[in-house]
Amino acid sequence: MRYVDEFRDAQLGQALAAEILAAADPGRHLKLMEICGGHTHSIYKYSLGDLLPANVELVHGPGCPVCVIPMGRVDDGIALARTDGLIFTCFGDMLRVPGSEQTLLDAKAQGADVRMVYSPLDALAIARKNPDREVVFFAIGFETTAPSTALTLRRAKAEGMANFTCMCNHVTIVPPLRALLESPDLRLDGFVGPGHVCTIVGTRLFEFIPADYGRPIVISGFEPLDILQSILMLVRQHRDGRCEVENQYTRVVPRDGNPRALEVMAEVFELRPHFEWRGLGSIPHSALGLSEAYREFDAERRFDVPGVSVADPKACQCGEVLKGVIKPWECRVFGTACTPEHAIGTCMVSPEGACAAYYNYGRLAAPKQAV
Amino acid sequence: MNQDAALTDCAPGERHCITCGDAASVMRVLELDHDTALCADLDDAAQRVAIDLVGPVAVGDELLVHAGVAIRALGGPA
Repeated sequence: MRYVDEFRDAQLGQALAAEILAAADPGRHLKLMEICGGHTHSIYKYSLGDLLPANVELVHGPGCPVCVIPMGRVDDGIALARTDGLIFTCFGDMLRVPGSEQTLLDAKAQGADVRMVYSPLDALAIARKNPDREVVFFAIGFETTAPSTALTLRRAKAEGMANFTCMCNHVTIVPPLRALLESPDLRLDGFVGPGHVCTIVGTRLFEFIPADYGRPIVISGFEPLDILQSILMLVRQHRDGRCEVENQYTRVVPRDGNPRALEVMAEVFELRPHFEWRGLGSIPHSALGLSEAYREFDAERRFDVPGVSVADPKACQCGEVLKGVIKPWECRVFGTACTPEHAIGTCMVSPEGACAAYYNYGRLAAPKQAV
Repeated sequence: MNQDAALTDCAPGERHCITCGDAASVMRVLELDHDTALCADLDDAAQRVAIDLVGPVAVGDELLVHAGVAIRALGGPA
């Protein structure tokens, strides 16, 4: 298919790797962060790190929404799922995210009616088929996913659906990036930017990174050649003394994003004053709740949600992984107590999580980097 | 594939999790029906996709699809 096959060409990949080597200053170590989990997944799946010179290092960012959801929100979801007669719907990967004691999959095994959906529109369809039962959609995701939830709620409102609500956990990417950039224990030399988030919000939103923090960012696609080319563009910015937003993913990403998606998001959502992020703590204005116009569709208003706050497990170092401070294999429980089958930390649950991606694709081939 | 793996394999063939803000797929429009389009993915698996958030699309166009919703129209085949 167009846009896919030509971006997986191995010879072109080798050529890009040679250009990166030629452009990189051998006297300088560059630490580049890929913001989103989709990039992390591709980097490990295609072993892109092996094509880079030793002085161009990739670190993995906080852009996997499953990985950043705090345990308290999972516990709240499980409590909601146990409500008599209620149908609880969520994306598949949420089912295995550990709460403080259980997962949603455990709750399902014990009788809760928890159903996996591919789209929030599927959850709405379930509500249409079950008019006598309450149906809740557990919404999660960054700006790429939020429009699908917003569109679903707009349709639910237009249809007058009285038995459909949403527990909203949508998050926004800029506040955690600012928190990262202001973190004293982090040194980064540039960012591989989130291509599909930018499809919605545009590249304009990221202009603060060079302007306020003096770091370059290249908005990138997700195929292996996209990522290699983006790394090359970052390395060349450093070589040329430039610091700006560049768009590698021009075949998809416009500077101003998708106006229809932004319009429906503005109609349905409003910023929460605060939201808890796993490993990053509470970050102001970093998540979306439902607007007043959609309050009747807010599951947290319709039902008695506990609103618990739970500290991360002490053994788990997801927070440091999410900030790029340590590599997945440097976590004390990586690959031993914490595996994709029995995850302690969220980074091991989602295939986009840095730990799961490294566990699935990198751990056997890697040099002896383990602590 | 075990059951746990299947639960996370929301984008067949790619092993992506749908909740990642950046997992989206290119799909080709097969049929149009008001505000939805029947689309085919890389493996020719068909899926109904909401097209409210993109401009007018035609049969044969390619769409970037996330969570059952087209988020960008990529135009017709080259």
